[in-house]
Amino acid sequence: MSRSSKKGPYVDLKLLAKVEKQKEDGKRTPIKTWARACTVVPDFIGHTFAVHNGKVFHQILITDNMVGHKLGEFSVTRNYRGHGADKKK
Amino acid sequence: MPRILGVDIPNNKKVPFSLAGIYGVGLVRARLICEKCGIDQDKRAFELSDDELAQLTNFIDKNFVVEGNLRREVQGNIARFREIGCYRGRRHAAGLPVRGQRSKTNARTRKGRKKTVANKKILRK
Repeated sequence: MSRSSKKGPYVDLKLLAKVEKQKEDGKRTPIKTWARACTVVPDFIGHTFAVHNGKVFHQILITDNMVGHKLGEFSVTRNYRGHGADKKK
Repeated sequence: MPRILGVDIPNNKKVPFSLAGIYGVGLVRARLICEKCGIDQDKRAFELSDDELAQLTNFIDKNFVVEGNLRREVQGNIARFREIGCYRGRRHAAGLPVRGQRSKTNARTRKGRKKTVANKKILRK
């Protein structure tokens, strides 16, 4: 079931604060985060996030058509390397 | 055979069912359209007058995205998912189910016909 629109999108407040801080001092270093459930809001555009996938941090540069998705959607948690038969070729 | 919105040629069914032949119009929409255009829903499609057909075409065109435009919209959305590299885009690219269905077994619609792996059972032992 989708989230009630009454509540608005879920945005990690600490993460948002960090983005705003970056906006002020103009730095664009990747922000490390575990907040995969956090919605991408327009404020995030142009910032880079390092989103944890349970093992490593994937760096993601947010572009304008990513708005509305969750950060976790861009950091895959499964690593499929093909089946044995596929590899031999 | 009546013609609505260029390509669609609905048949001799009752009007709502006939309208449902349009991509982007299901039964619910079809009934709504009939209601708004004031067309008797028990009428058959071939009984529609030119005026009524024009009215229907006009109404659908104004209110809904259908056929080619709708198909393009859907394709565009998928292309966007792929481009931004989100989970759904990856699933589309990999030809696997997109909405969280299981893929250990089944999922044959997305994955296509079974590809048999020789000696799979023996290898597992």
